[in-house]
Amino acid sequence: MSILEQLEELKKQGLEAIEQAQTTKILDEARVAFLGKKGSLTQILRGLGSLSKEERPVVGKISNEVRQALEAALESRMGDLKSHELSERISSEKLDITLPGRKRPLGSQHLINSITDEIIEIFAGIGYNVAQGPEVELEYYNFTALNHEPQHPARSASDTFYVRDLSGEENDSPEPSDVLMRTQTSPMQVRIMEHSEPPIYVLCPGKVYRRDIADPSHLPQFTQVEGLVVDEGITFADLKGTLDHFVKEMFGPDRKTRFRPHFFPFTEPSAEVDVSCGICGGKGCRFCGNTGWIEILGCGMVDPNVFGFSGIDAEKYSGFAFGLGVERIACLKHNIPDLRMLIEGDMRFLTQF
Amino acid sequence: MRVSVKWLKELIPAEKIDALPFEDFLSLLDMTGTGVEGTEKTGAQLPGVIIGKILTKEQHPDADKLHVCQVDVGGEEPLQIVCGATNFEAGDKVPVATVGAVLPGDFVIKKSKLRGVVSMGMNCSAKELGIGAGNSGLLILPEDAPVGVPFSEWYGASDTILDLEITPNRPDCLSMKGIAREFGAVLDVEPREIDMPHPQETEESIHDYATVTIENVEACPRYSARVIRGVKIAPSPEWLAQRVEAMGARSINNVVDITNYILFELGQPLHAFDLQRLAKGSDGKAHVVVRMAAEGEKLTTLDEIERSLTANNVVIADGEGASCLAGVMGGLESEVRDDTVDIFLESAVFDPAITSRTSRSLALISESSLRFERGVDPSGCVAALDKAATMMAEIAGGTVVSGVIDEYPTPVEPLKLTLRAERLNALIGQTIELDEAAAILGRLGFGVTASGDVLDVVVPTFRPDVVREVDLIEEVLRIYGMERIQPTLPGGRERIGGLTRDQHIHSRIGQTMRACGLNETMTYPFSDPRDLEKLRFELKEEELLVELHNPMSSEQSVLRPTLIAGLLNVVATNINKGVHNVALYEMGTTFKTAQGRKTPKETERAVGVLSGSWNEPGWNDPAVTLDFFDAKGIVENIAHALCIDRLRFEVGEHPWLQPGRSANILMGKNVVGWIGEIHPLVAQAFEVDAPVVAFEFDVSPFIKASKPAREFVVPPRYPALELDIALVVDDEVSAQSIEQRLISLGKKTPLAEVRLFDVYRGKGIEAGKKSLAYKLAYRSEDHTLSAEEVEVAHEKLLERLQKETGAVLRG
Repeated sequence: MSILEQLEELKKQGLEAIEQAQTTKILDEARVAFLGKKGSLTQILRGLGSLSKEERPVVGKISNEVRQALEAALESRMGDLKSHELSERISSEKLDITLPGRKRPLGSQHLINSITDEIIEIFAGIGYNVAQGPEVELEYYNFTALNHEPQHPARSASDTFYVRDLSGEENDSPEPSDVLMRTQTSPMQVRIMEHSEPPIYVLCPGKVYRRDIADPSHLPQFTQVEGLVVDEGITFADLKGTLDHFVKEMFGPDRKTRFRPHFFPFTEPSAEVDVSCGICGGKGCRFCGNTGWIEILGCGMVDPNVFGFSGIDAEKYSGFAFGLGVERIACLKHNIPDLRMLIEGDMRFLTQF
Repeated sequence: MRVSVKWLKELIPAEKIDALPFEDFLSLLDMTGTGVEGTEKTGAQLPGVIIGKILTKEQHPDADKLHVCQVDVGGEEPLQIVCGATNFEAGDKVPVATVGAVLPGDFVIKKSKLRGVVSMGMNCSAKELGIGAGNSGLLILPEDAPVGVPFSEWYGASDTILDLEITPNRPDCLSMKGIAREFGAVLDVEPREIDMPHPQETEESIHDYATVTIENVEACPRYSARVIRGVKIAPSPEWLAQRVEAMGARSINNVVDITNYILFELGQPLHAFDLQRLAKGSDGKAHVVVRMAAEGEKLTTLDEIERSLTANNVVIADGEGASCLAGVMGGLESEVRDDTVDIFLESAVFDPAITSRTSRSLALISESSLRFERGVDPSGCVAALDKAATMMAEIAGGTVVSGVIDEYPTPVEPLKLTLRAERLNALIGQTIELDEAAAILGRLGFGVTASGDVLDVVVPTFRPDVVREVDLIEEVLRIYGMERIQPTLPGGRERIGGLTRDQHIHSRIGQTMRACGLNETMTYPFSDPRDLEKLRFELKEEELLVELHNPMSSEQSVLRPTLIAGLLNVVATNINKGVHNVALYEMGTTFKTAQGRKTPKETERAVGVLSGSWNEPGWNDPAVTLDFFDAKGIVENIAHALCIDRLRFEVGEHPWLQPGRSANILMGKNVVGWIGEIHPLVAQAFEVDAPVVAFEFDVSPFIKASKPAREFVVPPRYPALELDIALVVDDEVSAQSIEQRLISLGKKTPLAEVRLFDVYRGKGIEAGKKSLAYKLAYRSEDHTLSAEEVEVAHEKLLERLQKETGAVLRG
């Protein structure tokens, strides 16, 4: 067989092998077999030396054509096979995307603290700072400086936890001690006013304690957020506007507030604030006891006597204070049926928030 | 306080109350400071109970004790009713419960047959109608009772009771008179004058019967008394009994009911003594003394309990001893009984604080003590006394002895205040016309004179709460209506809100723990000393636990010095409920004290507990049991998030942690917390049957050590060459010491990273030794390292490491 015939045969076989190759691997073997260093084409071209000068360019040209034809066929076949193999792979790698994802567990914030943070954010937005104080307080700050009469029932040892005083000091309190678990965050009003000059715009969140037996609607421990503003020209209208803003931010822009006159020893005038019921929109339903309103906080203008205890000139400055119970807001926002869930630490409760 | 609407409508024109829907009337009260806590329809509405006339009364053919009656109830035909009572005759008028009537206790009357005779209803007794206790047969009505009219309408038994929340500053509202004044001010209507009669007196003088001495004027600013003789103790007339019962008292007898009636009407508590049972002196008079009780003095009160008194209690005593616990409860001995004929009637004022302490310390709360502890107006004593005496004469047939004993050393003077228009408007933030303010105060009983921009105000003595201008402003505002004030926001100057640096860092600690998978919980600050024993918790020598004087229970008698006990209880709770994967943290206050300290030292700490695994085994996610290093990783992450570079761990033992699996957390040289596996015995004591790892640390050193940010490091530009080595060392040798050695030796080489990737004990490794496998990454900042460069440095490093640490390179 002449060399040209060999080349022709090689081309024919090569193209056939390329076409027959069903995998890229076989195709690659074919490439090596026909075009590789030790491949058939190379073998044939070794015989080039025995050809005449005239024949050589012809054979060279033809062999180049053969090479190009094979290479083109290889490339094309390789493209086809690769794309086929990719689509094979893709279809074999199909996932059931409804299978659950692999989650790194994400922890949750306690509902009470997350609501407290939300409240802080609302008031920080209108220029308030945050301050915290001791949970074990002096009777002076918790009651006396907040204008509570000596016989005020909240002072009694049946309502307030008293703490053993190891100072050895005498005191004239009729109660077991003059050191107690604070029953409200209001002592911070006095502590702040003692140590800072107006303008004061401050929020004091914290735990407070009362001698209540734990039941679905009472805990001996709960969380209050106290607000205090002292500045020149602060009015009752400012108090209304501030709490209106808070209620709309906290509960939604459609909610209304109403102020009912009330009595607190450390504010005058004093009021309780109701928010319109979110269930019935104020028409009255079982949730709000058919009143259309839900009580959420107490407030008032700082009593001049409290200014007196704190050394602030009540003629020059005026102010307001408010205190709200975070547990109460939690119950309103999330329908918590039993407050005890909040301190039990059941993972199935905590991870919901 | 309970308020009878029926009574109220006698004091305020009914049409003024009925002018608005009842709900709106109640809401008006709410919006002016009198909280309405509830309403209750009382006195039996008695639907279907009609006044009937008995036409005939015949013996039941088959029952000796029954009668068959024909009863006219105003219908076309009389009703046939079978009746078991005996106290009636044909012609009597009685209340008849017709078919369909509902009697108290939801007892529905049905057509029935009694021994074969049809009965179309029931003739009723007072008891069956719920309007009296007597069991003496049918309630026979007067002859003029109108047949066919609903009984309750005629009888006037139905009433609505308001349950009002009277704030402690308003003692004046604890009476119908005060409530009428308050509601009058709210509705802008003048209440009707209450009739205040003066009794007809006999010629005898009270001074022949009794004397009164107040020993302690502070405890009793006023004591007035009258003597009424010859009363006949009997049940009260129906209207009086109804009144006191509507207000929540029990009808006892005419004299006692009169004292209660006056208390409810005027707010002046009275006490009636049986004069004959008060000890007499040699002059035949009762010498009544108001004094502090002797320590341990005995008195049996009306409720038949013998009480041991203290020197803080005030008593009314006769010559022989205490006969009444002043302002709280009468004594049994001098109580008015059925055979009482002469009354010594007291109308006095006792100190609020003393009354309140007495009432609380003896756990004795009465209608009297409730009023005295809030403050009774001394100005009203004698008028109340006069009215009560008049009623006792009229109702109980007594005669009133001439004269009043009235010990009142320092009469109360009305307070004078001024209200500045400017101040009023400045505090409220809206203009309220002075005329309107004056009218409001006038309606509330204040004396008001306008002079220019100022009101001169005389405060009535029944308003002890009003002592300053601001108190007047509150009165004006609440009646004017808080709803009418337009909301504004404070103008303010020089104010910048927001959290401080420390507060921000503080919240980052919680955020990081949550990002690590811990869930925040909250426990009580109260601790059980036995829990601390279970924990084998030890305080430092000078430290003491903080004890409560009055804990709710012995399980909550101290304040927690550590958070871990509370969290172990929470782990136990979860495990008991079948929740085995527990990952919790709390940030809270711990308390310790010391001799000489008034208030305890409060320290905020953070605690974390881990038990079980992060997840239930999943299809692609095996459940890996959480261990020491999960907890340690969280603490390391906190340090990372806070840019703390001084955090260290060092072996440290704590009684509640398993030895060999516990460490101290250090900030620089200071121990600020611990981390470790809870000792199996401690876990067992807390009824936790699974391994628990935990950490607890002081929060503030973390905040203090936190840096604003780490210095920026340019990410490496040239590739690293990585080599793995395995070192065999004694088991006791800490990984940290080898790593530190590697890093320090590496400083002379291009060693850039050291990562421990395996710790191995077992086959191929001699007992008591372990193999630590490290990946060492060599990298240069200015060129790509060649294999030869690294090899030289690496060989040298290994040689020195083996020499210095005794570690042996594993083949």
